[in-house]
Amino acid sequence: MTQTIQFHPSRASGSEVGALVQDGRVHSSAFTDAEIFKLEQERIFEGTWVYIGHTSEVPKHGDYRARRMGRQPVLMIRNGEGEVQVLMNRCRHRGAMVCEGEAGNTKHLRCWFHGWVYDASGNLMQVPGQGAYGPEFDQKAMGLNKPPRVETYRGFVFASLNADVPSLSDHLGPAKAVIDLMVDASPVGELRVDAGVHKTVYKGNWKLVGMDGYHVHYVHASVIAAWNRDPDSGIAATHRGDPFDDESASRTRDLGHGHVMLDLTQHRMGHYDQFTAMLEKLPGGTDYIETMKAKHGEERSRLLISLAGDPHVGIYPNLQLINNQIRILNPISPEECEVIMFPVLFEGVSPEINALRLRQHESFYGPAGSGSPDDAEIFERVQKGMMAQVNPWLEISRGLHREEHGADGVITGRISDEVTQRGQMRQWRELMTAQTAQ
Amino acid sequence: MNATTTHSLELVHDIEHFLYQEAALADEHAYNDWLALWTPELLYWVPCNADNIDPTKKVSLIFDDRPRLEERLFRLGTKHAHSQNPRSRLSRIVGNVRLHNFDPATGGEVSSRFNLTEVRTDRITVWAGRQHHVLERHSDTWLMREKRVYLVNNDSVLGNMTFII
Repeated sequence: MTQTIQFHPSRASGSEVGALVQDGRVHSSAFTDAEIFKLEQERIFEGTWVYIGHTSEVPKHGDYRARRMGRQPVLMIRNGEGEVQVLMNRCRHRGAMVCEGEAGNTKHLRCWFHGWVYDASGNLMQVPGQGAYGPEFDQKAMGLNKPPRVETYRGFVFASLNADVPSLSDHLGPAKAVIDLMVDASPVGELRVDAGVHKTVYKGNWKLVGMDGYHVHYVHASVIAAWNRDPDSGIAATHRGDPFDDESASRTRDLGHGHVMLDLTQHRMGHYDQFTAMLEKLPGGTDYIETMKAKHGEERSRLLISLAGDPHVGIYPNLQLINNQIRILNPISPEECEVIMFPVLFEGVSPEINALRLRQHESFYGPAGSGSPDDAEIFERVQKGMMAQVNPWLEISRGLHREEHGADGVITGRISDEVTQRGQMRQWRELMTAQTAQ
Repeated sequence: MNATTTHSLELVHDIEHFLYQEAALADEHAYNDWLALWTPELLYWVPCNADNIDPTKKVSLIFDDRPRLEERLFRLGTKHAHSQNPRSRLSRIVGNVRLHNFDPATGGEVSSRFNLTEVRTDRITVWAGRQHHVLERHSDTWLMREKRVYLVNNDSVLGNMTFII
């Protein structure tokens, strides 16, 4: 029998919202309802840690990047002391954005409205005609506001508008080791996020960009056809063989707190010789392999080289590290999401290795890539299909009966199992019901 | 310099005709015929974020050599390139054609502007920009060695660009 949920957002209680996520299924209003979207902004994007950017994007004093925390504009900017700051992009006077550019360098943030000037730490430096303000006006207290919590893990800057979140380290938990897989693939342990950006948008809910090992054979059938045509081709180069075969050693993992991954490690390790052969053809490739062995030992260097810095992980709610890229999700409405993709280069490798990373990225991702436009296409069809409401439940029970629960809390399944969708929706329910509306 | 006055009208007309033909084949998704317009070695480049990037250090929208371009067209030719199923309906106008460093016997560079209207799934998108071709004379025809497309909005949020731009 069809079960419907009467959802009245204006008087939503935690239990009502919580009922939208059940064992193995999700109510589609979580993806379509405008009031739910508003609650997500408040309770998820303003309620937990969100990714802002990478420190290597702002190497010098005054370098800035305009980012968002949910609907709210923020800046990531390096100040005169060399610290990376996150500042609310809003003048303390009448609320205008103090930085309109998307990326650049400025030592001073000047509000166009009335000329108030702040430095790169957010201190208010100058108020035109300041004498007109009375003696109560405290310039020192009028700096740009900052999110109450900002922490960094290995160059990844996160911030939270909720002062009460646990430490970033606790929040990331086992996901820290997965971030390490990306960073340690650089022979000097440093990433360079300065290769530009692919900015795309699709007309679908932000939660549709999951970590899904099941869709590949269908949505990306054209890419698989290209793999089969030429295993050395650009698209295939990052995915030797078929890591998405359900009988393969690939696994899905729920790392807790909504962080989930497609763990392709065992599959990729099996293609170590092909990866190193490809690297050795490039200038600097042999050096890279030798440096990695000397630094990390035989076993870990094999892992790091095979993965090439691709942990295939989603850090809830807005960050994904997939292939050669850092990806940020910016939800715009229930039915629209912006995806921005930053190709990641390695410090300490030859220009040819980094150029190959760029070509591999372009082959699948970006507006003209072979993969992400097909993902966007299916997300749009899902969004349209979900408007059919005779039975509004989405099925995410695949592999529920065969999940393995590790002692460390990590839940594991086969590569096509919906462990990842369940992990993300469990965290969604947790955050959405953590506080109840008035 | 006024680029066209040093060349015969016949040559300019010939080059314009080539560009129109290239545009028509792209609009019609005639991948094999379009591929036949290229020299064996080729560069099909659509920069991203700015016009003057170094593609060895910065990401492009498209940076195809021949193997990558053949792979792109192969994929589009399968039945499973969903973002081109249905295909984009395309109509482009090419104009403002100017020849640079052009030798009628061997070839050279051509710049032009294009305005491309795309309709797909009831959505209409306008793509516009400059294009820059390097043409080579091969017996009785011209072939493209390079095509660079500088979109006016290559620093903006972009949707599905999986057709031949």
